[in-house]
Amino acid sequence: MRVILNTGRTIRQGSYVERKTSADYMEEAASLNMNRMDMFELAVEDGNHIRVRSDHGEVVMKARAVEGLIRGQVFVCLGPYANHLVGPETHGTGMPDFKTTQVTLEPTTDPVPTIRELMERCGGVGYED
Amino acid sequence: MTDLLVKNAYVIDPLSGIRGEIMDIAIRDGKIVEDTGSGAPVIDAGGCLTFPGGIDSHSHVCGTKVNFGRYMSPEDMRAGRTARKGVMRVTSGYSVPTTFGNSYRYSTMGYTTVLEGAMAPLEARHTHEEFTATPHQDMLANTLFDGNWAIMEAVRDKDVKRAAAIVAWTLDAVKGFAIKLTNPGGTEAWGWGKDVHSVRDEVPYFGVTPAEIIETMIRANELLNLPHSVHIHCNNLGVPGNYQTTLDTIDLAPDLNRNRQSLYLTHVQFHSYGGSTWRDISSKSEDIARAVNSRPQVAIDMGQIMFGRTTTMTADGPMEWKLYMLHHNKWSNHDVELETGSGIIPVYYGRKSLVNCVMWAIGLELALLINDPWQCMLATDNPNGAPFVKYPEIIALLMSSRYRDIERSAIDPRTEHYVPLFAIDRELDWYDIAVMTRAAQAKALGIERIGKGHLAEGAEADIAIYPLKPDELDPAADYQQVMAGFAKTRYTIKRGRVVARNGEVVVEGANSTIWSRADVPPEYDLNRDAEFVKKFEQYYTVRMRNYPVQDIYLPRGYFISTEASL
Amino acid sequence: MKIEDVVCTFCGCLCDDLVVEVENNRVCSVENGCTLANEKFMRDHRLKNPIRRDGNGWKAVSYDEAIRETAEILLDADRPLLYGWSGTHGEAQSVGVHLAELIGGVIDNTSTVCHGPSIMAIQEVGHPGCTLGQVKNRADVIVYWGANPIDAHPRHMSRYTTYADGFFIENAFRDRKVIVADVRQTESSAIADEFLKIDRGGDYAALSALRAIVRGKGDLIPSRVAGVTREQLFRVAEICMKAKFGAIFFGLGLTMSPGKYKNIRNAIELTQELNRHTKFTISPMRGHWNVYGSNEVFTWITGYPYAIDFARGIAFYNPGETTSVDILMRGECDACLVVASDPGAHFPRACAEHLARIPTVQIDPHVNATTHLATLQIPVAVTGIDAEGTAYRMDGVPIRARKLFTGSYPNDQEILEKIFARVKEAKRS
Ligand code: SF4
Ligand SMILES: [Zn+2]
Repeated sequence: MRVILNTGRTIRQGSYVERKTSADYMEEAASLNMNRMDMFELAVEDGNHIRVRSDHGEVVMKARAVEGLIRGQVFVCLGPYANHLVGPETHGTGMPDFKTTQVTLEPTTDPVPTIRELMERCGGVGYED
Repeated sequence: MTDLLVKNAYVIDPLSGIRGEIMDIAIRDGKIVEDTGSGAPVIDAGGCLTFPGGIDSHSHVCGTKVNFGRYMSPEDMRAGRTARKGVMRVTSGYSVPTTFGNSYRYSTMGYTTVLEGAMAPLEARHTHEEFTATPHQDMLANTLFDGNWAIMEAVRDKDVKRAAAIVAWTLDAVKGFAIKLTNPGGTEAWGWGKDVHSVRDEVPYFGVTPAEIIETMIRANELLNLPHSVHIHCNNLGVPGNYQTTLDTIDLAPDLNRNRQSLYLTHVQFHSYGGSTWRDISSKSEDIARAVNSRPQVAIDMGQIMFGRTTTMTADGPMEWKLYMLHHNKWSNHDVELETGSGIIPVYYGRKSLVNCVMWAIGLELALLINDPWQCMLATDNPNGAPFVKYPEIIALLMSSRYRDIERSAIDPRTEHYVPLFAIDRELDWYDIAVMTRAAQAKALGIERIGKGHLAEGAEADIAIYPLKPDELDPAADYQQVMAGFAKTRYTIKRGRVVARNGEVVVEGANSTIWSRADVPPEYDLNRDAEFVKKFEQYYTVRMRNYPVQDIYLPRGYFISTEASL
Repeated sequence: MKIEDVVCTFCGCLCDDLVVEVENNRVCSVENGCTLANEKFMRDHRLKNPIRRDGNGWKAVSYDEAIRETAEILLDADRPLLYGWSGTHGEAQSVGVHLAELIGGVIDNTSTVCHGPSIMAIQEVGHPGCTLGQVKNRADVIVYWGANPIDAHPRHMSRYTTYADGFFIENAFRDRKVIVADVRQTESSAIADEFLKIDRGGDYAALSALRAIVRGKGDLIPSRVAGVTREQLFRVAEICMKAKFGAIFFGLGLTMSPGKYKNIRNAIELTQELNRHTKFTISPMRGHWNVYGSNEVFTWITGYPYAIDFARGIAFYNPGETTSVDILMRGECDACLVVASDPGAHFPRACAEHLARIPTVQIDPHVNATTHLATLQIPVAVTGIDAEGTAYRMDGVPIRARKLFTGSYPNDQEILEKIFARVKEAKRS
């Protein structure tokens, strides 16, 4: 399924932002907020894993049904999961397209990576707190 | 103990009554002394013109709106940039330079003290942060009271003493130097998108008039025995026909102080317009000069404009809106809760614009028609009329009618029908210039008492030595040299230390901030006034305890202490 | 010990009315704060000591070693990037700018990925704004556009707008109209009197339609613009024009969407247009507690609010070129100093990859995504908890953040000054 990825702040993301190693933060940052009808069509339920792909990367997240999103749009709070998909092009403005990334969704049973794993995929070395 | 001896200086020190004498100046530990010890380092001034350090009594260089002028104007930043060099940091900006840019440029022109013309109390901390980053000048801040709710309530209750108490509390809290009224009442009206149009107009809701605010504040100022007088930017700035408002304002000033004026009117050029529209605007400098000449209780600064690009910025929010409606360039506005407003727009003053030519002439006329240079100080309301780097050109214009005639041929030929400038042949001399650029400022601000603006024994050793030899120069003819000479000192000495030399800054610098503290009896201490505290907590968005500027923001703070007569 | 009037160093609201109880160098209760404040003060968890990447692992190092190595990295770099700054106090930011100047680097702050486009728009058309108290005391119409204060600035509505009683507005909830414009429903849109639900990417068009109506060119408006009906657009324009004092607040929904700075420009020009009818102001909802401070400090020292390149000796500014994401995307910088922010989490993946390739030093109290990318991390005190300093609220009001207790961590300014001194010393010899 092809949808548009929107990102933004959420109160939970803000609450845990200074504790990025916490399970709470991961839970929020890796949640793929969706319209119920889209979930129905993909045959996924709350908490099921979904592989999200864009031209710039792919990452597994957890589906979460929410009110207020129209079909064809998904929302992920700003953070490392969303940014695994966002391209770096800024069109000369310094600002990437954080709110309009084309992505495809596909149900999966693969695990959701931790932030540490995401950063290791970027070439980093994980630090255990 | 650090000594320095300046020899062979052609000194003009008006406050000490020295009108041009070759003499030596001895300095010890930052002060002027009778004699230095033997072996003190010597600077040979070689007969060059030597003044006390320059003082700008009205300039916009630090604080919220100045910084916003930079923030919104990358084109202005690009127009004046210098690289890091020696002790000099990178600078940017032409009309609104960065703090170091302002400081270095003033310093190389011989200026050692600058008063920031408008500080909103709520944002004072910002002004002080920038003061610290303006290291070559001692700084003072005019503190805005024009739309202050507590003040307007005191005015409404006809309670001068309460107004005084509010001023005392505020100056102490924000480390301000003097009372500034910018379009009194108008900045509050601007909270509703409105303005006041004469000194008798009522301020919406508060029901007080600018005249009442002005009168109350002049009296409150004198009750507190503050060093400076009330400093006013009159209502109706920039409006054709506004000279009447200015005359009405001058009429409000009683003569209450033996040492200085009781009312300082700033950038009077912008307030001396006749006519009723932009088409028939004319100069009313003669009327204004006549009023000033007959009233020792007022002093003014010119508010000269100079042709070219600059940025206008003022607490007068409604005025900037009017300017925006004329220019349709970019416009910023920033109202400050319970206190004041502000606005910014870029402008270009052109020699081909009749209105601009008339404005240009008016500033010069004021300086030439006011008999006593102690009553008319040289300033451009930097950067509103022009960036302060234009001062040398203004000096040259005032000293040379020939130069004025040359300019006449370059401007709109219709100008002469609207202004008296070209019929005035007065040429100012070196002494007049010394008065108009430092001595009068020291007196008007009341800082001669702390050793500013003169070179008598015990004074601060702030000295400017210009590469100009009065004996060999005829300023009327050699105006080009006058201009070049005032643009770059041979030496600028600040507190006994050479800080700039031939246009190069040679030390990082460390300045002081000067503020006023009036001690009031306990019953006038607003910290204990339940009503004041309650309203503060209710209507401000900052807690009263977080409002005062902490001492740490004034690393070398210095206050002038007075005893209030309450 | 109870401390009153504490400043919350989390979001741009910079609330200064918290009451905090401290025991044994730990905050044990917070009153008046929102959820974000409670989390920040109560669940503060720090990196214990400086750490250094060691092959495929990490080892503890001393502060002195970490500072020395940071200075060496910066001295060794041809094109260093100094990024972050919005989570520290102004005094530290100031040292950062002087450091960037000294090494001829690029310095940029987090506005680059939040309100950078707003700054670009302001540089084109200006910014008619005001302090938040002006809104609280006067505004009878509030517009939130592309902003969701309930999540991002939880007390914005209760302290300054919807629920804040003011001098001329005695009963805010009754006397104030709230308009929300957004592409999605949020908790904020749920409480609006008017919710303009805009099609994705349609902000520019919707703003243009409102401008046209305010200008008296309403007959040009088709029956729907960007998903909003003509009737609703007219209704909203009418509410705005009839306001005594209107205030627009906009968020990343405008700065990050297609059109970027042009959206903001349009919103500002709408505000300017409305001022022909009544009083209207517009303000960006600045995110981090001191991101606006970083703009202010950078500006008075360099002339520009962000994205400043000192490589040629002068201060050079060209967003799109000298902005962090672009520099990282091009793989241009060869060392990075990250202070008080987390580009690992908040920049596109390609940027994070480059940070992992080059020596990256992070000065930050917490373990975050960037930690895993860095070569070195130096933990510091948290401003507002165990360090004090100046912050600028989203409306430019400067407030001094308090220090609640003296802990064992050095603050950002101290660390940066030591790095600066070392670099300066090395440059001299
Ligand atoms: S609104 Fe922002 S500043 Fe206020 S308490 Fe919440 S997080 Fe802190
Ligand atoms: Zn002024």
